Amino acid sequence: MADSAANNVLIRTERLWKTYQMGSAQVHALQDVTFEIQRNEYVAIMGPSGSGKSTLMNLIGCLDTPTEGKYWLNEKLVSKMKDDELAHIRNKEIGFVFQTFNLLARSTALHNVELPLIYSGVSSKDRTARAQESLAMVELTDRMHHKPNELSGGQRQRVAIARALVNRPSIILADEPTGNLDSATGEEILKLFDKLHSEGNTIILVTHERDIAASTHRIISIRDGRIASDEPNTPRIPVAPAAGSAS
Amino acid sequence: MNFRESIFIALSSLRANRLRSLLTLLGIVIGVMSVIAVVSIIAGLNDYVANRIFTLAPDVVTISRMEPIIESMEDWIENARRKNLYLADLDAIRDVCNHCKAVGASVGSSARIKYGREYVGSQIQGYTAEIPVILGDELHAGRFITQYDVDHARNVCVIGFDVADILFPFVDPIGKSVTIDGRPFEVVGVGKKKGSVLGSSRDNWATIPISLHQKIWGAYQSVQIYAKAGNEERLPAVQDEVRLVLRARRHLAYSAKDDFAMNTSKSFLQIWANISRAFFAVTIGIAGISLVVGGIVVMNIMLVSVTERTREIGIRKALGARRKDILLQFLIESAALALVGGIIGVAMGASIAMTVTWLTPLPASVKWWAVALGLFVSTSVGLFFGIYPAKKAANLDPIEALRYE
Repeated sequence: MADSAANNVLIRTERLWKTYQMGSAQVHALQDVTFEIQRNEYVAIMGPSGSGKSTLMNLIGCLDTPTEGKYWLNEKLVSKMKDDELAHIRNKEIGFVFQTFNLLARSTALHNVELPLIYSGVSSKDRTARAQESLAMVELTDRMHHKPNELSGGQRQRVAIARALVNRPSIILADEPTGNLDSATGEEILKLFDKLHSEGNTIILVTHERDIAASTHRIISIRDGRIASDEPNTPRIPVAPAAGSAS
Repeated sequence: MNFRESIFIALSSLRANRLRSLLTLLGIVIGVMSVIAVVSIIAGLNDYVANRIFTLAPDVVTISRMEPIIESMEDWIENARRKNLYLADLDAIRDVCNHCKAVGASVGSSARIKYGREYVGSQIQGYTAEIPVILGDELHAGRFITQYDVDHARNVCVIGFDVADILFPFVDPIGKSVTIDGRPFEVVGVGKKKGSVLGSSRDNWATIPISLHQKIWGAYQSVQIYAKAGNEERLPAVQDEVRLVLRARRHLAYSAKDDFAMNTSKSFLQIWANISRAFFAVTIGIAGISLVVGGIVVMNIMLVSVTERTREIGIRKALGARRKDILLQFLIESAALALVGGIIGVAMGASIAMTVTWLTPLPASVKWWAVALGLFVSTSVGLFFGIYPAKKAANLDPIEALRYE
C-alpha cells in the first residue's frame, strides 16, 4: 500500500473468504474479496440476493469474522478480534442503518438514539444532549419523545440514521435503507445520505437495486461471492420524486 | 450499561404484562409471605411470652414437683411418682439458704367466691407472706397477706381486679366479707389490673394465707416454692443451695437425677424457644419449597422473555453491547422481577400478621430483619434463577438475532 494514501484508507480487506459448512458440503459465501475504501467515500455494494453481499456487509460491520483473510478498519486489524472487542468496534466505528429500522419499540426516539452512547459509557446528561443534537441533524427534534409506532416509516428511518450518527462513527453502513419505504420517502432518505456525505461522512450502502446504487459515487458489484466489478459512478442528481426517479 | 436503565426496562416489561408477571411471581410471593407472617407472629409471641406470660423476675427460681413440660410417657410416669413438696421443705430451705433474699411457697385450688347474690369462679391461691414480694405483685387498694395473717391462719383475702369488679361494681370492697367455699373472708386488698393473656383474664383470683388454705383443702397437696436471690449473679448459688437441701431431704443417691424441677425465667423462655423453633423450621421448609418453585417459574418466564426479545438483543449487540452488558441487563431484570415479588410478599405477610393481631388474641410484630431477609432472599432467588436465561441472551449471535422474526 502506498504510504501517502495509507492514512486516508478507512477500510482495507485482503483476500477475504467466508465459508459455511452445510452438512458435508462447503459453501463459499465470499471468495478472495480484496478492496479498499477511502475516508469520505460514498459506496454502494450491489448484488442480487444470494450473491454474498449480506455476508460482506456482516464482515464490514464487524458482526462476523472472515474464515480467512484480513480486514483493517481505521488501521485496526479487526479480522482476528474476539466478540467483545468487535462489540467495542461496532460501538465506536460503525453506524448501522437497517432495512427494517430495528428501533426498540417500547422506547422513545430519543432513547433509541441514546442507546449506542449507553454502551460507550457516556454520562446520562451528555447522552441526552448528543442524542438531541443527532436528532436535530435529521430534523426530528419535534418528534423525539414519540415512540416508533407513532412515527411514519421515513421518520423511523431518520431516527435510525440519527442513532447511527450519534457516536460519530467512521462509517455508516446502510443495509437496504429504502427497502421498506415508498419511493418518495426513499428519495428523502437518499437525499439525507447525500447531505451526510457532503458533511464528511463515509457511507456504505448495501442494496440490490441499481436505482438506489446509482445515487452513490462508486459501485462495487458482487456476484457469486466475488467482486464482479468496482467502478466509479457519477451520481444522478436527486430530483423531486414527482418528476420520476430514473437516473 | 447502567443499573437505572436495566431496572427501568425490567419494571416496564413487568407493567406491560401485568397478569403474566403476577402469575410468575406467585411462588415467590407465597414463599416470602409465609416467612414474614410466621416470623412476625412467632416474634410477637416471643415478646408476649417474655413480657406477659413468664413475668418471673430474672433473679427468682421456682421449685416444683413436676417439670413444666413433659415430653414422653416415661417422663410422665417418673414425674407422677415424685414426692410432694411441703411447707417443711420450705422451712428447710429458709434455714440453709444463705444466698436467698426471700423464700416463699404457694398452693392453688379453685372455688367460688360469693358476695350477696353475686358470685364468680376463681383461682384461690394460698400464699406465704413473701410471695407478693418475690413475684412483684402490685396492689390497686388495701394490703397484702402478712406474716401475722399466715401465722394465725386469719380469714382474710386479697382479690383480683376482675373479682372486685364483678362482686363490688359500686362499692369499695375493702373491709367487706365475701364467702369462699362456704367460709367468710374479709377482703383486705385488691390487686392491680394485669389485663389478659391469650384471651384469658389474669385478674380473676383471690389469695388467702397458705396456712388457712391447708386447713380448708388439706396439707398434703404439693406446694410450689419460690426463692429470690436479690440479683441475677447470685441465682446459681441459690440454686445450688436449694438443690443440696432438697436432695438431702429426699435421700437421693449422688448419681440419681433431681426428682424436682427448678426453673428460672431463662429456662422457661428456653422451653418456649424450643417450641417456637419447631414451628419456625416447618415454615422455613415450606417457604424454601415455594421459593425454589417460584425461582424456576421466574427462570421459565425469563427464557420466554429472552426468546421474545431476541431481536432487541440483536439490536443492542449491533450497537455495541458486550456479552456482560446483556448478561447484566437480564440478571437485573430477573432480580428486579423477584424483588417485586418479595415486596408484594412482605406486604401480604405483614397484613396477614396484622389481621391475626386484630382478629385473635395472638399478638404479632413485624420485625425489620425479617422484612430485609425476605427481600434479600427473593432478590437472590431472582439472581440465581436468572443466570441461565441471561447467559442464553448474552451468547446470542447478533446476526441470527437481528434476523429473528
